[in-house]
Amino acid sequence: MSELSPAAQHDVTLLELVDRVLNKGVVVSGDITLSVADVDLVYVGLRVLLASVGTIERLQAELP
Amino acid sequence: MSDDEKLIHASGNLDALARELDRVGTAFPRRVNADPERVEQGLAQLVLTLVELLRQLMERQALRRMDQGTLSDEQIERLGDTFMKLEQRMEELKREFGLEDRDLNLNLGPLGDLL
Amino acid sequence: MLYVYAFVSAPASLPDVSGVGGSPLGARRIDVLDAVVSEHELPVDASETAVLEHARVVEALAGANEGVLPARFGGMHADEAALSAAVAGRELVEALGRVRGCVELGLRVLGAAGSQASAATGAEYMRARLERRRKLERLADELHVPLAALARDSTLALGTTPRLLLTAAYLVPRGDVEAFGETVASLQAAHPELGIVCTGPWPPYSFAIAAEERS
Repeated sequence: MSELSPAAQHDVTLLELVDRVLNKGVVVSGDITLSVADVDLVYVGLRVLLASVGTIERLQAELP
Repeated sequence: MSDDEKLIHASGNLDALARELDRVGTAFPRRVNADPERVEQGLAQLVLTLVELLRQLMERQALRRMDQGTLSDEQIERLGDTFMKLEQRMEELKREFGLEDRDLNLNLGPLGDLL
Repeated sequence: MLYVYAFVSAPASLPDVSGVGGSPLGARRIDVLDAVVSEHELPVDASETAVLEHARVVEALAGANEGVLPARFGGMHADEAALSAAVAGRELVEALGRVRGCVELGLRVLGAAGSQASAATGAEYMRARLERRRKLERLADELHVPLAALARDSTLALGTTPRLLLTAAYLVPRGDVEAFGETVASLQAAHPELGIVCTGPWPPYSFAIAAEERS
């Protein structure tokens, strides 16, 4: 039989939701940086790469 | 938003699915702090993501040509050998920098269909 | 500064939920659309909580308006002028028209856990990869094609991991969701060896940008 544990249901649903909010949707990039703890992020004009915070964090290591 | 509202159909092992989704990085992004070792890891993350992306694109291209029959046996052998070696090297580098599949976050937007 | 959640046809019907950090929702008219926004003194903190708050706002907007074009998380602008400039020439009206009255349904297909035999030669490796690709494409024919026929639009990704065989999203008119679910159930019955998971309905995040822009 299938395993439909509430925890797994929650995990899958949450993962699906977060994937959509972070990686999909209209990219309306602004000039304003979001703050992430003590790290400042800078949005530049690369639309595909800069849509999600996770990607920003990866690039941040590379910027001067 | 309650969880069972968003599950239209589910069978099989949801735990396994949650694990696979977590593996490809659809979860919240990890925070990076500015300490020097982390910066190096961040760079490795970026470089390895690009290398892996290119490797997958090239492999896909090679498979198409193989399917079309426009590759010689020798070319197929050489390509396969190269891809295998690249794959092994990627695994070594990931281990070296303490990176997992989700850190490379290859399942991104328009480039999601690579394999 | 303004944080943007989504775009709807003006006038926006604002639901009774708050935005990120408890900020009240507002609308800013851009041409024939309303951008649904919240105002902030400081840049929004990119936290997990903020992501969930963004999602909640978009979900509530979808319930209160006939069509909604979800914005991706993180859209922060100095002011209305900056926001207008950011969406100028983006054809959002057309995009909204494409998703009006529809919801997004997600599909994941998980294969059985199997051993991955390592190839001995390059040729063996390539043959195995090609065979895998062909199997995935056959799977798409059997599962994705009949579902895409029920949808206005769809996205597809094959073989994201060795086990995650298929990932798809479908833009389905609201009234057709039940029939879609029944089709998924019948496809599952025909494929007991696969784990099929269908989630939704979601606001149409995956279809908020034009197909040409997607890939």
